[in-house]
Amino acid sequence: MRTHRSAVLFALLAAVSFGACAKKEPPPPPTPVPTVAPTPVPFKVTAVDLGKSIGDDRRIKDATAVFGPKDTIFVAISTEGVAPKATLKARWTYGAKGQLVNEETRDLAPTGPAVTEFHIAKPSGWPAGKYNVEVSADGNVAATKEFEVRK
Amino acid sequence: MTLPDEKKEPDFSDVVSGSSTTAPAPKEQAVTRTYTVVGGDSLSKIAKKIYGNAGRWKEIWEANKDQIKNPDLIHPGQVLKIPGA
Repeated sequence: MRTHRSAVLFALLAAVSFGACAKKEPPPPPTPVPTVAPTPVPFKVTAVDLGKSIGDDRRIKDATAVFGPKDTIFVAISTEGVAPKATLKARWTYGAKGQLVNEETRDLAPTGPAVTEFHIAKPSGWPAGKYNVEVSADGNVAATKEFEVRK
Repeated sequence: MTLPDEKKEPDFSDVVSGSSTTAPAPKEQAVTRTYTVVGGDSLSKIAKKIYGNAGRWKEIWEANKDQIKNPDLIHPGQVLKIPGA
């Protein structure tokens, strides 16, 4: 009888002890949920438009490829992407020989979609003929637009 | 000697240009503007075109001393840095 009681007591103590130990076990670590960092969109030109005027958002208000001699000629370059520094260039040329009219560069730090405009004017009047504007982004030609000046 | 049927290239030396953007400017430099020299240009003419003040030609010269040794001698096709434009 004594032996039996000791065995029961031992079993109870073991169960309590086991339970206590089991309670102390740390909970399993939560399964890590894989997080995908957003891939930065590289800077690139998405559209190039020509016109005679722009709005506050720098977009062309009246797109055209035919200008008068006294018009100011705008090119609006829509871009997307993020970069600490990016460069846009507009190179304007005249005629089949590609005579240089003007060239201008602008540095940006784009944080998303943006519009950049370049414009040229000639107070004495544009010679009639065909012109081109070549748009480059970070040194790479992104688009070329042809336009015409008519008297 | 100029032949009667020889066509002269148009003069674009009075072309004025500009730009603007909705994108922020890089931190290290607000805007880098350049100007490509065309025939008939001088530093004072360029300063007049860009700043509206021919007397500011020295600023352009100072910014381009690496490529302009003589301020009276610039060449068509040279790309000049335009400070503070």
